[in-house]
Amino acid sequence: MTAALEAVGISVSFGAVRALQDVDLAVDQGKLVGLIGPNGAGKTTFVDAITGFVQASGSVRLEGREISSLPPHRRSHLGLARTWQTIELFDDLTVRENLAVAGGRPSLPSSFAEIVFGRQPRAERLAEEVLGLLDLEGIAEEMPSDLSQGRRKLVGIARALAGKPSLLLLDEPAAGLDTNESRDLGRRLRRIVDGGLPTLLIDHDMGLVLGICDEIYVLDFGKLIARGTPEEVRRHPDVLAAYLGKSAAEVEPGASKVGAAWAAVAEGAAEQ
Amino acid sequence: MLAEQIFAYAILGLGSGALFAGTGLGVVLSYRGSGVINLATGAIAMLSGYCYWALATGEFGVTFATPLAVVLTLLFSVVLGVAFELGVVRPLRRQPPLAKLVATLGVLLSAQAAIVLAFGDTAHPQPSILPGGVVTLFGVTIPDYDIWMAAIVLAVTLLLAAGYRWTRFGLGTRAAAENEAYATLFGLSPNRYSMGNTVLMALAMGLVGLLAASINEVDPITLVLYIVPALAAAMFGRLTGFTTTYVAGLVIGMAESVLVFLGGQSWFPTSNGGPLPGVDELLVLVVLVVATFFRAGKIPSRGDIVERRLPRAPRPVAPLRTAAIFVPIAAVAMWALPFGFREGLITSCIFAISLLSLVVVTGYLGQLSLVQLGLAGVAGFLVSHLFTNFGIGFPWAAIVGVLAAAALGVGFGFPALRVRGVQLAVVTLAATVALETFWFSNGTWGAGVLGAPVPAPSLFGFSFGTNASFHGLGGGEPSPLFGWFCLIVLTVVALLVANLRRSRLGQQMLAVRANERAAAASGVNVRNVKLTGFGIAAGIAGVCGVLLSYSYGSITASSFSALIAVALVAFVYITGITSVPGGIFGGVIYVGGLFAYALLDWFGLQGNWLNLAVGFLVVMSLVSRPEGGATFLFYGKRPSLWPRASKDPQGKMPAGGVVNDEGEQQMERSLAPVEVEVPS
Repeated sequence: MTAALEAVGISVSFGAVRALQDVDLAVDQGKLVGLIGPNGAGKTTFVDAITGFVQASGSVRLEGREISSLPPHRRSHLGLARTWQTIELFDDLTVRENLAVAGGRPSLPSSFAEIVFGRQPRAERLAEEVLGLLDLEGIAEEMPSDLSQGRRKLVGIARALAGKPSLLLLDEPAAGLDTNESRDLGRRLRRIVDGGLPTLLIDHDMGLVLGICDEIYVLDFGKLIARGTPEEVRRHPDVLAAYLGKSAAEVEPGASKVGAAWAAVAEGAAEQ
Repeated sequence: MLAEQIFAYAILGLGSGALFAGTGLGVVLSYRGSGVINLATGAIAMLSGYCYWALATGEFGVTFATPLAVVLTLLFSVVLGVAFELGVVRPLRRQPPLAKLVATLGVLLSAQAAIVLAFGDTAHPQPSILPGGVVTLFGVTIPDYDIWMAAIVLAVTLLLAAGYRWTRFGLGTRAAAENEAYATLFGLSPNRYSMGNTVLMALAMGLVGLLAASINEVDPITLVLYIVPALAAAMFGRLTGFTTTYVAGLVIGMAESVLVFLGGQSWFPTSNGGPLPGVDELLVLVVLVVATFFRAGKIPSRGDIVERRLPRAPRPVAPLRTAAIFVPIAAVAMWALPFGFREGLITSCIFAISLLSLVVVTGYLGQLSLVQLGLAGVAGFLVSHLFTNFGIGFPWAAIVGVLAAAALGVGFGFPALRVRGVQLAVVTLAATVALETFWFSNGTWGAGVLGAPVPAPSLFGFSFGTNASFHGLGGGEPSPLFGWFCLIVLTVVALLVANLRRSRLGQQMLAVRANERAAAASGVNVRNVKLTGFGIAAGIAGVCGVLLSYSYGSITASSFSALIAVALVAFVYITGITSVPGGIFGGVIYVGGLFAYALLDWFGLQGNWLNLAVGFLVVMSLVSRPEGGATFLFYGKRPSLWPRASKDPQGKMPAGGVVNDEGEQQMERSLAPVEVEVPS
């Protein structure tokens, strides 16, 4: 089976700064893959590169199809959906309309029918379904600015789902959520992935990422430093070094007090 | 010989070049001080010019000596500056750039109307403040004052450039523009710097008004429209550079003067015996487009604390039902009203259509285009020329006119893919001026000065033009038949625009308006949506132009002037730029429309009183009811019509960024996961 996403040799430079160097990452069908890394590691840049918002070199294949030369909206048509760290809802549209925009391209005849005969767009039922999936019923007619931060995050995810994507990229969906909200979000994400949508999850909430992902990639200074199951990543010396600012040699995995504390954090998360 | 003559004409252009440059300095000062793209700088110079003229010629009964008149005029301009700051800039500090720009359009309109009301619209001669000698340069004799003007404005330019670089005031202004919040934290008062810059701007405009006395008579239009070349110059200076703006302004003035010389040459294209008109306006447009494309990308944006956006565009609930209530009333009124009121109602219908075109392009798509009226003119002139040159009448001429306007609108849409809202307003303003002078005033393919005839519309031998024989209850012309025709067209257009808001295309437009990056990520083809929106809006404008030409029976360039385009935007902002009722009620109160006629008939108030009031009203409504009066009436039940600033505690990425231009906009913030306290 072809991987849902296969990125090979992704590199991005901003002037002299090399934000990403030769990053390889794959998301297999039905898998929830995590991407973590300290501040400035290049995680968001990676999402921007995959979705076409920054100039990147390398190859991006979506279900086997090369998309790296396409503009963002074409990638979206082919099934690539993303959310934003900063949410980025359409503040002038209701929640339902936000979902409708992502829900499908109007064809010329259907646009004509809608404008000339006033026919109502058909994307509405789909919107209802997606909102139900995220327990968001009842806010379809609200304006995004009237919602809480947590709700807005969820609407962002709902909008990404509304396009019936084949791959979902989530950029820090849990940032700004409290522990309970974050745990809820985790359960919902797992449900979405188990429903058949492969997903790449970026987040700072280690509990969330280590707790629900099938596989995790770790970025630091634009380079991939580790990859593996949550268990493997948790014990990887380079990962500990990257997060705790120590060289790998100083850190003995599982033995040092720092390592133990870190493992405890991760363990607690895994229990969720 | 030829080189010498060109040189002489170039030097003769120094005077007007200095005025362009001076007005451009005003634009720069306004932008640096408060982030306003100030389209009223020329109007402020005009007010000062009138002040000097009135003082120096004894208009008010007392004649002042020239030096005293100069000092008093500069004092007057300081007062104007303070008033402008307190009345316009400060109340609108937290508004989006587009709203600020519209407010300056309102000021322009008010200033112009006030002068016309007070002194009429004829030009008056005035004494020069500069010595009137001549000087011989490389064998060419030219008047002194052109050189004086260039020198004085140069001195001002250098003073400003030095002041901004080396004084505390300049440093503070730059800091406040860079990041208002930080500047405040460091104890600087952005308000004070804004005030200082606005007063400096007004003083510079006072100087322009005074210097203009040497080469122009005072009139209510010339200086006002100097804003267009001034904007071109200021764009070259990226709205911040004084010296670049000065040089660009001077060069534009000299180039225009050389064009006058070339116009006298035998090879120059002619029209009706005279040199081709409008070439200099076309030149300014080209300069502006070049400046916008190659310089404007680097215009520093401002670090304002809050960026508010266009008001919400409410979704129409039941457009058909609303139409079923209002249309019959209007239809009966067409038949029953006396002819003056009927004419007002017809004019309202026609201009409502042009305002609906603004609702689409600005309200839905978020792009302020001032060229819509120019596009209307294109359609109108085509209707006239298709008949006089080819004998094509209604409906084919009308259809061709509308389609041509739509096609041209898509053409104008291409630059809009590159430039953002406010800059688009600037370019389209220049385009309107260029269309008016280069196309509409042209004797061959425009109307010349006399106007071009337009046949009455008729179908299968049945005429329903203004002069149709059916006169209704009110009697007189224009015929109610024509009124009903306009009403039907307006109803159809209004329903289409309402449906557009409910359609997915309309939702995509609003998505693009809100956030281009997120729209693209959601599969919206931003470019196509913008071009479609421009095309639709231009087609609607074309419909307006066709009806206008039929309603006048002949068509003239002055019906499609830049000042009318400006007035239309101000009117629709008062009633609501984001909704169909906003557009329609804007037409009702528009100059020449139903409300204006009632004012004239009942109170004897000329349309200019309305223009005067609208300038004030537009500022007031931008502050207190930004969604517009009619929009509020129709959709105002909900508690929040205006999207509030995001409460996102992590701050918000600038919304609506253009796709692919900024790379990673923000570094990730908190390193959340492991803040480990080592247990001891």
